Amino acid sequence: MAILEIRHVSKFFGGLAANSDVSFDVPEGRIMGLIGPNGAGKTTLFNCMTGYYPPSRGEVIFDGRRMNGLKPDRVCKLGMARTWQKVRPLTNLPVLDNVMVGALCRTSSIRRARAMAHEQLRVVRLDHKASLLAGALPIGERKRLEVARVLATQPKLLLFDEVMGGLNPAESEEIIQLILEIRRTGVTQVVIEHDMKSIMRLSDRIVVLSSGEKLAEGSPREIVENPEVIEAYLGAEQ
Amino acid sequence: MTTEAISKPFPARSVLATLAPKVAIVLLIAALFAVPRFVESTYALHMMILIFINIIVGSSWNILGGYTGQYSVGHSAYFGVGAYTVMMLLQFRQIAPWWGIWAGSLAALMVAVIIGSICFRLRGPYFVLASIAVAEIFRVTALNLKNVTNGAEGILVTEIPPLVIGGRVITDWFSKVPFYYVGLVFALLIVGVTWSVKKSKLGYYFQAIREDQDAAHSLGINLTFYKNVALGISAVFTALAGGLYGTYVGFIDPSTVLPLDLSVQIVMICIIGGIGTISGPVIGALVLVPLSEVLRSNMLTEWLIKAGVVNAESPIGLFMKEHLSQAHMLIYGVLVVIVILYMPRGILGFVSRFTTRRAGA
Repeated sequence: MAILEIRHVSKFFGGLAANSDVSFDVPEGRIMGLIGPNGAGKTTLFNCMTGYYPPSRGEVIFDGRRMNGLKPDRVCKLGMARTWQKVRPLTNLPVLDNVMVGALCRTSSIRRARAMAHEQLRVVRLDHKASLLAGALPIGERKRLEVARVLATQPKLLLFDEVMGGLNPAESEEIIQLILEIRRTGVTQVVIEHDMKSIMRLSDRIVVLSSGEKLAEGSPREIVENPEVIEAYLGAEQ
Repeated sequence: MTTEAISKPFPARSVLATLAPKVAIVLLIAALFAVPRFVESTYALHMMILIFINIIVGSSWNILGGYTGQYSVGHSAYFGVGAYTVMMLLQFRQIAPWWGIWAGSLAALMVAVIIGSICFRLRGPYFVLASIAVAEIFRVTALNLKNVTNGAEGILVTEIPPLVIGGRVITDWFSKVPFYYVGLVFALLIVGVTWSVKKSKLGYYFQAIREDQDAAHSLGINLTFYKNVALGISAVFTALAGGLYGTYVGFIDPSTVLPLDLSVQIVMICIIGGIGTISGPVIGALVLVPLSEVLRSNMLTEWLIKAGVVNAESPIGLFMKEHLSQAHMLIYGVLVVIVILYMPRGILGFVSRFTTRRAGA
C-alpha cells in the first residue's frame, strides 16, 4: 500500500520549472531514496509535499488524503513531518525543550511532552545533553536533535532532507543506524541524500530527479546500472 | 523507566533552597500590600503607581515581543484604546471606571485580533513598521474625531462615582491609595500570567515561534493563531494599564496615551530590564521610572551642586539648572544606548553573567 502518492507534481517559479510532472508512490514502512544532482528539485518537492509551497500542478496524496493547499502545521498534525537541509535548532532553548515543542503537537500536557521528549532523546542518544542550549551543540548532534524533535511529533511519514550533509563518516554512520532503527518501528521515510554509498545501503527504492524531472525509479541495483543515471551524474561518455 | 524517574533528571535540591525564594516572594508581596499603611508621602505612592503601570505595559509587551519574538512598536494603540474607552465611558456615559476598564480591555482584544490577522502576515522589520503605522492611525484618528474623542483637547474627568466595597464607601479619588492597590494587583496579575504562560504549552510554542518560524510551522504550530493569542494577552493587559493611567491622572489626550514615544518607552522597559524573562520588565520599570523622574525634575543638577561637584553660581551650574531638565530626553537616550551597547541582554542578563560565572568557578 502506498502511504504517499506524488501525482504529476509540477512547481514553477516564474518561467523556471523546479519540478515538472513528477510522479511516484512511496510504499508504507519502506525507505525511499530521493537523489539527483544539485538543483534537481529535491527540496522543492519536499516543500510542495509539506505545504511550504502549493504545487503549481498535480496532487500530493498522503494517507488517502489530498494535501494540496494545507499549511505546514496541518501537514505535521496529519503525520507527515520533515527535517531541514540546513538544521534549524531553536538555539536559545534547551535541547529538551526543542524536542518538547515537537511532542506538544500530540499532547497539551507539559508533563507528558517532557516524558515523550526524554524518550526520543534516548533514541538519538542525546539524553545526557538534555539541559544544554541547542545552540551549544556541534553539527552532528544538532542533526540528531532535529531527528529527535521530528520523531516527537509521531509521524507516519518522515522526510529527511540531507540529514547526513556536512557530517563525518562516524557521524553519518550513527544517522544511518538511526534511520534503520526508525524503519523497524514501521515509520515510512523519504531520504534525500548526496552520499551514494549511504543511500544505496538505506533505500528500498530510489527515485532519481534531474532538472526537475523524474529520470529513473527502481531498486538501488537497478539505479546504479541505469545508463541515464550514470550520465546525469558523471556526464555522457565522449 | 517510569514517568517519575524521567521528570526528575536532576538531584533534588534541599528543602530550604527550594522554599526560600517562595517565602521571599510571599513576604515581598505582603510588604507591597502594607506600604500605603506606613508610607504617607504621596510622591512616593505616585512613583510606585507609575512603576506598577510600567511593569504592566512592559510585561504585556514582553509576552508578544520577548517570548514570541514579534517586536511591536505600536503598543500605544492598545494603551490608548484602553484609556480612551474608560475615559469616554466615564465622562460621556457616567459609567464607572471599574466597569469601563473591562470594556476597554475587550475593545483592545478586538482591535488586536483585527490588527493581528492583518499584520502577522509580515515578518521581522516589516511587522515592526506595520505596528508603528497602526498605532499612528489610532493617534491621528483620536486627534481628528473631535465629536467622539474631543480631539487634541483631550478628556478631563470631572467626577468619579463612589465605589462601595464590602460596606466601605470610597469617595476620595484624590487619594493615591486606591490606585496603588489596583496597580499592584494588575502588576502581580500580569507577572503571574507571564509565569503560567511560560510554564504551559503556550510558552513553548511562543518561544519556538521566536526562535525559528519555519521550524515551528513544520512542528505543527499554527503561526497565525499563536501569534494572535500572544498579541491578545498582551493587548488586554496593556489596555488595563491604559485605563488605570487615564483614571489615575484624570486627563488624557492623543499626545499622552497614543504617541510613538510611549510605544518606544514600552519596548525600552523590556530591553533595559531583560527581554524574554519574567523579571526583566519589572527590573526595567524599577530602573526607568525613577531615572526619567530624576532627569525630568533636574534632581541630577541639585545632587551635583549639593555634592560640591558643580558650583551653583558658576556658568556651568547656572547652565545646568536652566537647561538640563529640558535635555532629559537626550540624557535618557544616551543612557539607553549605553545599556544596549554594553548590556545587550539587559540588566538581568548583565547581572546573571556574573552570578553564573561565579557559580561555575
